[in-house]
Amino acid sequence: MRNKYVIELSKGGYMKYISHLDMVRLFKNAFKRAGIRLVYSQGFNPHPKLSLAQPLSLGYSSTCELLEFEIAEDLPPAEILDRMNPMMPKGIELFKCRRMAEGKSYASRAVAASYEVCIPIKAGDRCDAEGLCRDFLKQESIQAFKRQKKTEIKKETDIKGMIRELHGELLNDKIILYIKSDAGNRSNLSPELFISAFVSFSGINAAREDISVKRTGLFFSR
Amino acid sequence: MIFEQEFEKLLKRVEKPARYTGGEVNEVQKDVGKCSLRFGFAFPDMYEIGMSYMGLQMLYDILNKREGVFCERVFAPGPDMECLMRDKGVPLFTLETKTPVSELDMLGFTLQYELSYTNIINMLSLAGIPFFSKDRKDGMPIVVGGGPCAFNPEPVADLFDLFLVGDGEEAITRLCSLYEGWKASGDSKDAFLKMAGKLEGVYVPSFYEPVYKENGEIEEMKKLSEFAGDKVKKCVLWDINSCGFPENNIVPLIETVHNRAVVEAFRGCTRGCRFCQAGMIYRPVRERPTESLLKTAEKQLKATGHEELSLLSLSTSDHSEFVSLATRLMAVCKKNNVSLSLPSMRLDSFSFKVLEEIGGYKKSGLTFAPEAGTQRLRDVINKNITDQSIFDSISQAAELGWNAIKLYFMVGLPTETYEDLDGIAETVKKVAEVFRQKRMKITVSISNFVPKAHTPFQWEAQDSYEEFVTKHNYLKEKLKIKGVAFSYHDSSMSVLEAAFARGDRRMAAVLVKAWEKGCKFDAWSEHFDYGLWKEAFAEAGADIGFYASRKRSYEEKLPWDTIDSRVSKEFLIRENEKAKLAETTGDCRQGCEKCGINT
Repeated sequence: MRNKYVIELSKGGYMKYISHLDMVRLFKNAFKRAGIRLVYSQGFNPHPKLSLAQPLSLGYSSTCELLEFEIAEDLPPAEILDRMNPMMPKGIELFKCRRMAEGKSYASRAVAASYEVCIPIKAGDRCDAEGLCRDFLKQESIQAFKRQKKTEIKKETDIKGMIRELHGELLNDKIILYIKSDAGNRSNLSPELFISAFVSFSGINAAREDISVKRTGLFFSR
Repeated sequence: MIFEQEFEKLLKRVEKPARYTGGEVNEVQKDVGKCSLRFGFAFPDMYEIGMSYMGLQMLYDILNKREGVFCERVFAPGPDMECLMRDKGVPLFTLETKTPVSELDMLGFTLQYELSYTNIINMLSLAGIPFFSKDRKDGMPIVVGGGPCAFNPEPVADLFDLFLVGDGEEAITRLCSLYEGWKASGDSKDAFLKMAGKLEGVYVPSFYEPVYKENGEIEEMKKLSEFAGDKVKKCVLWDINSCGFPENNIVPLIETVHNRAVVEAFRGCTRGCRFCQAGMIYRPVRERPTESLLKTAEKQLKATGHEELSLLSLSTSDHSEFVSLATRLMAVCKKNNVSLSLPSMRLDSFSFKVLEEIGGYKKSGLTFAPEAGTQRLRDVINKNITDQSIFDSISQAAELGWNAIKLYFMVGLPTETYEDLDGIAETVKKVAEVFRQKRMKITVSISNFVPKAHTPFQWEAQDSYEEFVTKHNYLKEKLKIKGVAFSYHDSSMSVLEAAFARGDRRMAAVLVKAWEKGCKFDAWSEHFDYGLWKEAFAEAGADIGFYASRKRSYEEKLPWDTIDSRVSKEFLIRENEKAKLAETTGDCRQGCEKCGINT
């Protein structure tokens, strides 16, 4: 019997600004400080069995990150939480820990994610959020420019098929968009592509740094 | 506190935003209302460099352990962040509380390398603090300098209110006590400096004024104050074990140059290499015992969760209990799933035996520093290793399964001839032969000799830029050997480094000019622009050759003569004379060579 667990956690505050790899290192360090021994892989360069289900872009906050790991001893999930939470820097909160059944990892089963995108609007901007979303989705295709990793050339792609749900509401002087889109190995939509497509469609003149993104859900296949 | 929302917008637009957020594990937070001394520890380079510097963690620990003192960190922002800060009017801030640096009581810059000096100017500018001590009014932060470059503080003397010379642990504590008393009294900055000047190791530059001869040399350091002493003796932490070592190191959230647990095995070095400033200014050797090192290592690993542990010293295998130290540290590391790193090892059969015995030591890269290509030149610089021992150890390394080797040499050493350069090529060739069958990677790294203050070579001329280039090209041809990669250090950087290393107060004008032209991060090849520096020298009316490539006589008054490293000038002269005869000097552990540190 292997001691596999998953922790649900939130990421916010200044911790928004650390990368996926930084998060992995942060947790490796935290387990060491908590005195909980992770199981290491065999081989020339052993590394601990620990992973985050789905990378989160730099600058995004999240209420739904999943950390999977395997430890050398059998501990009650509640104890793991009690020992790990004090090790967290301000901005990361672990709120649930449970045992994980044998089988495929969450990371390999991720299919979709939901986000809240908050866009400030100014006088004159279109503010019927729900209507805007409907019109946006009514387009035959939704073109976005994806930067190719190797060549740095921007390539136009149709992202319409990757958007699963989209709703909006007006809150004071902000539009909040609720989007559920593909996220995982098979098909993946970066919210950045959606944001640039949406902003240019709606004509809302908001600078990227004024827009905030929060991940609110991760969805998995069986 | 700078405006949080505005700050977050900046973070979203810059590379590696976590350089600026703070909030790491083990960061210290205090109630600022209850602090009578707010100290900014400023590292004049980027976060990733500064956070890898152990001295920061040490002083941060000491200062923050004191009630009423709050030490926060300040780094040089990257060019992208700087641009936004200037654009939005955001001043230089501390990581812990985002307080504008100008609101602190004291700002301490660590002077680790000469090519970080423009960053000091840039940081003061970003903080809205006048560059020159004389222009800073009462109520502005007291600007303090320390670190190895404080042993010749003259090029930056005008920027600082005072320097702490030597070991900082006790000196900074004394300075804090003095400050607290002075602040309560409400007296002037002048009064503070007068009192501070009496402390051991404190150099107040405004108490002195250099007078120059017609030929540009220093006539005398005129004392402007009755509080100016003849000499400022460096501080020495004589009993290194009287002062704790940090256990709760800050753990960076992002990748830094070194992100690891570190314990200091000993300070100082007994080898006496004549080019080495660290070997002279950190005397005498003071060792920490194995027991205490083990205890600190365990506590630090526990508090940080680091995955690597490293020993800090100038020559790790010289620790008197090295075998048991290495063996026991390895056991601690294995127990904690941590890797051990033993840098600055003297690579002889003894070290290899230990590395082999402790087992589990990762055989990645091996670094060898013969420094010179012939026995004669190694004797000149007092690098006491023989050809035979180099080849023996390298064969041994190959036998034991090391897969990569780095060889460090220096060009431009005093008395060097082309025969010595040929010697470098010969040595590399022989190493390559040993390694050929094993298909190992050999990297040859050439640096340029930079004469430093307080060393036996402090009077010597540096090669000119052109000479360096010629020598590099010569070696490049000679080192076209299969399986050998060759790299060399930028010559113009080395010349500039030499100018600042032995510069006088007139260099401040050059520095400000260079900064005005946009020079910063000069230690980064992608930012360094020698063309701008040449213009700066010309406009300031200074000659770089006067500082870098001019040989000084023993009689000449040197800019750093006011600073007493406790190693006597007589010893340095004796060593330089022996160098000329290629005579070596023994290791201090084999007998006292009377350098003056113990008298």
